[in-house]
Amino acid sequence: MKYALLVYSDQADWEGVDDDEAARRRAESMPRWLNLFEEMDRVDPHVAGKELVAATEAKVVRIVDGETIVTDGPFAETKEQIGGLFLTTLPDLDEAIRIASLVPAAEYGSLEVRPIVER
Amino acid sequence: MEYLALIYADEAAWERFSNEEREAAYEQYGEFSQAARDAGVLVGGEELGPTASATTVRVRDGRQLVTDGPYAEAKEALGGYFILDCASLDDALTWAARIPGASHGAVEVRQVYVDEGATT
Repeated sequence: MKYALLVYSDQADWEGVDDDEAARRRAESMPRWLNLFEEMDRVDPHVAGKELVAATEAKVVRIVDGETIVTDGPFAETKEQIGGLFLTTLPDLDEAIRIASLVPAAEYGSLEVRPIVER
Repeated sequence: MEYLALIYADEAAWERFSNEEREAAYEQYGEFSQAARDAGVLVGGEELGPTASATTVRVRDGRQLVTDGPYAEAKEALGGYFILDCASLDDALTWAARIPGASHGAVEVRQVYVDEGATT
């Protein structure tokens, strides 16, 4: 079964953070990310992950009455925003939940597990 | 440059669709995918199961908290995405506008982060 693991976190946590502090935070969480990547590789060597630039850079596109309307900022006005996603094939939902809880962002944000529709 | 186009649409409307209407919608998405593929823009894309099939996972103080449902309940929910390889944000927005969901919902365009030193 294919699953999307959507990574939600509060990007305000990173506002006003200078490069040194950002590097320190990344270094601190790196062992857990590496642990996640190793485990993901083991359960699904074809796992694909994408990290996104800040949601403040997002644009939203809509067609209204035939006209393209582009607005700044993310679609949802939620505290936490999608910061990345993984696409992975796993035996069942329990395994997807186990992998999701290994994502470091699960400790300060939320992981949404969604099955993929295969036609 | 890769861009993620997140498609938000009214799930209730989709649920009400007849089989013919669904087939027509899939056909439109097929046409978009083919056009993006022909242009060398399409990297990937998936349709997500309904938010009713979502599970949200958090870990707090070492404890796993699992809840049924999506992260955020909203009338227009994330229903799928495309990954598009475009020369610029403007190009990505132009392609995003061609995604059928842009005509009845909304498409959020996000640039994919590139870490020069990344191995994964």
